[in-house]
Amino acid sequence: MSDTPTRDDDQLLPNGDAVQQTPDETPARRYTDEQKYQVFNKEFMPHIDSMYNFAFRLTMDEDDANDLVQDTYLKAFRFISSFEQGTNAKAWLFRILKNSFINDYRKKSKEPAKVDYQDVETTYNSEDAESEHTVDLRAESVSDLIGDEVANALNSLPVDFRTVIILCDIEGFTYEEMAKILDIPIGTVRSRLHRARNLLKEKLRDYASSMGYKEENGD
Amino acid sequence: MQTSLPTSSSSSVKPEMKEKCDHRADCLKMIQLILDGEATDQQLAKVKANLESCKPCIEMYNLEREVKELLTKRMEKRCCPDQLVDTIKSRILSFS
Repeated sequence: MSDTPTRDDDQLLPNGDAVQQTPDETPARRYTDEQKYQVFNKEFMPHIDSMYNFAFRLTMDEDDANDLVQDTYLKAFRFISSFEQGTNAKAWLFRILKNSFINDYRKKSKEPAKVDYQDVETTYNSEDAESEHTVDLRAESVSDLIGDEVANALNSLPVDFRTVIILCDIEGFTYEEMAKILDIPIGTVRSRLHRARNLLKEKLRDYASSMGYKEENGD
Repeated sequence: MQTSLPTSSSSSVKPEMKEKCDHRADCLKMIQLILDGEATDQQLAKVKANLESCKPCIEMYNLEREVKELLTKRMEKRCCPDQLVDTIKSRILSFS
């Protein structure tokens, strides 16, 4: 199984940090001004709610989410010539947003030491060591959890783990799309998602047990 | 990667329910692939067989499906503020 991301089926996406594509990589499309607005309104704007939710879940702050979405859409317009009409606009936009977040917001994020890079690092380097780990939790224990509790559990995860869950489970991207959005191999998408879900289940278990659904396990 | 999952030798006889799964971690990974719509036919067949005969696998499947559903259906979805939409549109117009 190949662990390298495939890039053959769509154009390179712009990096969030305004790196101009070289002409031989991405044949620039010559949109007229009118076409630019048309593409923008028809292909980009319909995703704005998803983008806003993604931004809010990444930054966990309304003002930051506003800024992040605005920056992303302005970048998208500026680089619109590297977007091919009819291709996956949502993935293209999500990638710009993700890069903008990393470049501009992560450093000044109001989420100081929550991101446990050590944990992230160790996890990625020891996939096999982690593989025997399963969370002891039953479906019935989580079925009564409400949205806020799920959101809190999700928000408590390090941002890299939170991101894969948002992209896969909330936004419904495929692994291949996620690999492109995140610039990581598909194999890493798979293992990061697996680890993220284990962490999420641990958090959900804590919520469920604190709510008294624990007694059936006699703990 | 070759995972040697238990195979039910006869399809006509109802296989005995296994109380213990020796491949939990691998099975869990395959279950997630299936729920994500990313499994191969081979993985699909393996898990399908397990779901008929392995109790821990059934429980893992139910839990994974439940958690995924919580995320898909029960999380609050916000709408982008109208003001932000307006700002973006007017900023774009001043670009060229």
